[in-house]
Amino acid sequence: MIGALLLLAVAATLAAGTLLAAWLDRRLAGGGGIASLAADWLAGPVRTEAPDDMNRRLAPAWYLALAAAGLCVVPFAPGHAAIDSPAGIAIWGACEALTVVVVFLHGWSPNAPFPLIGAYRYAAIGLPAMLPSMFVLIAAALPAESLSLVAIVDSQRGAWNVLRQPLGLPLFAVAILSLTLRGPMDYADGADIAGGTSAEEAGPARALWQAARLAMLVSACAMAATLFLGGPLGPVLPGPVWLWLKTAGMMAAILALGARIARPPPARMLGLVWTVLLPLSFLHLLISGVIAL
Amino acid sequence: MTDLVIAALCLFAVWTGWRVFRVDSMVRASFSLMLSFVAVGAVGVVLSAPYIGIATIFMMAVEMMVMAIFMVMFMMNPAGLNPMVMVHQHRVAAVAGGLAFAGLAAAVLAADPPAARVATGTDTVAALGHELLGPSMLIFETAGVTLLATMVGAVILSSRRGRFGPADDGSRPPGLEPGGPPAGRQPEGGGGHHHHH
Repeated sequence: MIGALLLLAVAATLAAGTLLAAWLDRRLAGGGGIASLAADWLAGPVRTEAPDDMNRRLAPAWYLALAAAGLCVVPFAPGHAAIDSPAGIAIWGACEALTVVVVFLHGWSPNAPFPLIGAYRYAAIGLPAMLPSMFVLIAAALPAESLSLVAIVDSQRGAWNVLRQPLGLPLFAVAILSLTLRGPMDYADGADIAGGTSAEEAGPARALWQAARLAMLVSACAMAATLFLGGPLGPVLPGPVWLWLKTAGMMAAILALGARIARPPPARMLGLVWTVLLPLSFLHLLISGVIAL
Repeated sequence: MTDLVIAALCLFAVWTGWRVFRVDSMVRASFSLMLSFVAVGAVGVVLSAPYIGIATIFMMAVEMMVMAIFMVMFMMNPAGLNPMVMVHQHRVAAVAGGLAFAGLAAAVLAADPPAARVATGTDTVAALGHELLGPSMLIFETAGVTLLATMVGAVILSSRRGRFGPADDGSRPPGLEPGGPPAGRQPEGGGGHHHHH
């Protein structure tokens, strides 16, 4: 009974969150919004020469599925998640890793120049950008002494991780921008390469891809709220409402941040990721470890 | 029910593993192999080893992504979409494959796997952590440091700005047709000190 309720909460949160994300994207980041998703849906498809049809059709669906799988491990009330796994945080890590694969395949499968450039740029930046987020996930598990997200929420009853692990949320924000192909980390679908992996795409496939990007924003922000803002913890209001409020706040912050920071050239970003972000994440792990002891 | 799920996952792992050699592109082969490992990871999750199973999935996702890029870089098959044959040295491969199968089959038949079910409520993740950072720490850390040193070495050796000068100094890309002029940008001659007059 409670399992079905939690699955329903995941589906409803993903659907409503995607619509909210589309609206926020239009208000805060100059995105197309819901109307543009609908217009994309109604347009005819684009054909390319000798594409890999299976991967081309499946990529948006996989992206959406990864967003849904990631949201399934988020506790909606203290002690309750749709998938209450003892390795919940590793499941989210797997979703992050597979997202890089899915975005790469989305750009590779049309067999066209701009999507392919987007795919390679994203693989080059997205993979190392994921490494700091892995250390952030490990650090978040330290005070809880568990990889279970339910235990990580419980460990924040005294103080939220955003206070105990000051570098965690900024580092995780970079991972969110990268996972959702947004702002300074949008090396896959950037306007400088005519839309990158989505350049040769129209119709329902394009609408689904854009919706999946927004859905991934919902999941990643819910994860950030769980790891750093206490997730469903909070006074007076019930747990799910707190999680929704914190997730919506994170979504607005990420969208505003993404729209305000310029995107450096890929080579410079690669240097930044390896020489600044990765050492910062080691430092973060050290600080979090010392504080947890 | 659990047996059925495991059997289905094993069949999927074998089928995607077979596909690795039947698809005609390095990218497809890499991600077929990834799907095979994902199925193996899922078997681990079903067998009450959630961390090892999920770790297999995310490690393989990252590894196969890296492998796809490197394969395309070194295989002279732009984008990996051009058809190519994925098998070579048939006789050696058949012998090696037969030996590996016989060895692994012998190991499976000779091993004495534990028959007792894992009691519900056992914290297998914590047990694994205690094992890795307790009795097995020396093996674990040795393997980790060796892998790290290998990776750093590979990056240094393949870096264009190496200590022995630019790595592509004097290299000629292959021609677009056999014996044709080199494709793409022409490298400058004279050790990078070429001047136009």
